[in-house]
Amino acid sequence: MTLARETILAAVRAARPPAVSYPAVVEGREMAAESGDLLGRFEKEARTAAADVVHVERAGLKRMVAEWSGYVCAAEFGVAENGAVWLPGSRLEVRSALFLAEQVLVVLEKSAIVRDLHAAYARIDMTAETFGIFIAGPSKTADIEQALVIGAHGAKELTVVLVG
Amino acid sequence: MTARRLTVIDHGRAAPVDHAAAAERFIADEERTDWHDGALWFLRQRRDAAVAMVPDWESLRENASAIKEHALSQLDTYLEQFERSAIANGVEVHWARDAEEHNRIVYGILEQRGARRLVKSKSMLTEECGLNRYLEARGIEVVDSDLGERIVQLRGEAPSHIVAPAIHLRREDIGDTFHEHLGTEKGASDPIVLVAAARAHLRERFLAADATLTGVNFAVAETGVLVVVTNEGNADLAMSLAPVHIASMGIEKVIPRMADLGVFLRVLARSATGQASTVYASHVRAPRSGQAIHVVLVDNGRSTQLGRTDFWRSLKCIRCGACMNTCPVYRRSGGHSYGATVPGPIGSVLTPGIDLKKYAALPFASTLCGSCTAVCPVKIDLDAQLYRWRQIVTKAGLAAPGTRVVMRMFGAVVSRPRWFEMIGAVVRGLLRAMPHRVMQKVAGPWSRARELPVAPAQSFREWYRTRETPS
Repeated sequence: MTLARETILAAVRAARPPAVSYPAVVEGREMAAESGDLLGRFEKEARTAAADVVHVERAGLKRMVAEWSGYVCAAEFGVAENGAVWLPGSRLEVRSALFLAEQVLVVLEKSAIVRDLHAAYARIDMTAETFGIFIAGPSKTADIEQALVIGAHGAKELTVVLVG
Repeated sequence: MTARRLTVIDHGRAAPVDHAAAAERFIADEERTDWHDGALWFLRQRRDAAVAMVPDWESLRENASAIKEHALSQLDTYLEQFERSAIANGVEVHWARDAEEHNRIVYGILEQRGARRLVKSKSMLTEECGLNRYLEARGIEVVDSDLGERIVQLRGEAPSHIVAPAIHLRREDIGDTFHEHLGTEKGASDPIVLVAAARAHLRERFLAADATLTGVNFAVAETGVLVVVTNEGNADLAMSLAPVHIASMGIEKVIPRMADLGVFLRVLARSATGQASTVYASHVRAPRSGQAIHVVLVDNGRSTQLGRTDFWRSLKCIRCGACMNTCPVYRRSGGHSYGATVPGPIGSVLTPGIDLKKYAALPFASTLCGSCTAVCPVKIDLDAQLYRWRQIVTKAGLAAPGTRVVMRMFGAVVSRPRWFEMIGAVVRGLLRAMPHRVMQKVAGPWSRARELPVAPAQSFREWYRTRETPS
């Protein structure tokens, strides 16, 4: 095993292409940033990903959760450019249930929406997490004749509840 | 269970791939060919629409390309850093020089845990290694859980596309397969019905799995984080349930920093299917309580490719499939015609490096139109690399005999201006004088779906000689 490691590393070292420097990663100029409407863009993209998006007053949240029969969790933040929500593992009770449940409810603070994935990774800290996941809409497949079918292996419905 | 065996790519032993002959068989069904062509072009159009939504797309591509080139230029350092991070996270790291060693390591992990039932999610690397056959021969039940992969697995076929593995099949074909293996109603071909049947069938496998194996989209050196993306949620579900997670990855998948994920995840789904994001993007850093994670780092020819001045950039590939969706040859010849794990333009620059003789035909399965290069999110110069492979194949005497003869004749003619002029005149004369039916025949298979050009009254040279000299 160690032999394999040494062999591979030696081969890679010997094969090194000429040094290429690390680029200055661009901060993308996203449309949402230009219009300034992060919430509107998030809602639009989440719906494109077949998520239900609802606005709920903070006072009404408890009742909504109480009446929900599926999985419930709270996102750390949402991403305007693609309608995804970030769920760190520490916020997930029984991780597998997030995928086993037919209906998933994700609570998201309206103020916690970032522009794009560059901004998202500036926020993500995995040092204390074993796991984290972006989710954009319910589970999907197009493996049969490119026909879009919702509910392949994971959630059949994903509802994002915007509060605040 | 099925008695048919998986068709596994057997590098080095099988006869050379005859792409043209295989494509001929594929296009014999004209209706299916047109459908296949259209389905992939639809993906290309969706990609275009998604890309148009990103105002800084070109600088994103530049960055994605530069990060990959940087990572590859210091790959040994980043591999070591990734290994340190992963071990510190409690992940076990294995190294495999080739396919056989990879398979042996995976089987060893399963054997040690007494695991009999393995649920896999999409991994082109395990296709490349022939892992399923290896494990099945040793009594392991292997279930591919991506719907498209499950379909081709049940049919005893290989995937024909890296993102859409069953794109070569129509719904009726899949309905027949599910009727045979999953007991769906005979003739049922509604995708909603078939997906529901697959969901129920695979749920049982997920719940019963002793171990899961996934591919890896990105492995981050600074944190040891593995990123696996799916739309179906199969990898995500399996990783959350199974007590053992084996992640098989090619050594080229390592990227330096978490921030790089922002660049790559922005381009990946948009290029692949035109989605702004995949439904799921799992980030795995460390095992959950009671779980074991094993990463297998596989070379299998990659370090050799890295050492090739003209081809190392092919290792930048993030497996989005955009080059396949746009390729006029791929769309009309089907993924199986390439006889390789990764088909299409990127496959045709990767595979000749593995076995030049076997894959000598693949660099010629292209029009060199450059559409692949134009859509590649990491800016691999695919058409230039295909052209370079053609030169190498030809120098090695491995070009198809027809191609060799025609190219030699063509070379002789275009390097002699008098001959060129004379033959041009003869052909123009024949086009005018001979019956159309005869000339169509002379033009050979090229003319099967094309019309012959109308002979111009004079050649460019004739016009040039007689033109009025500008004052």
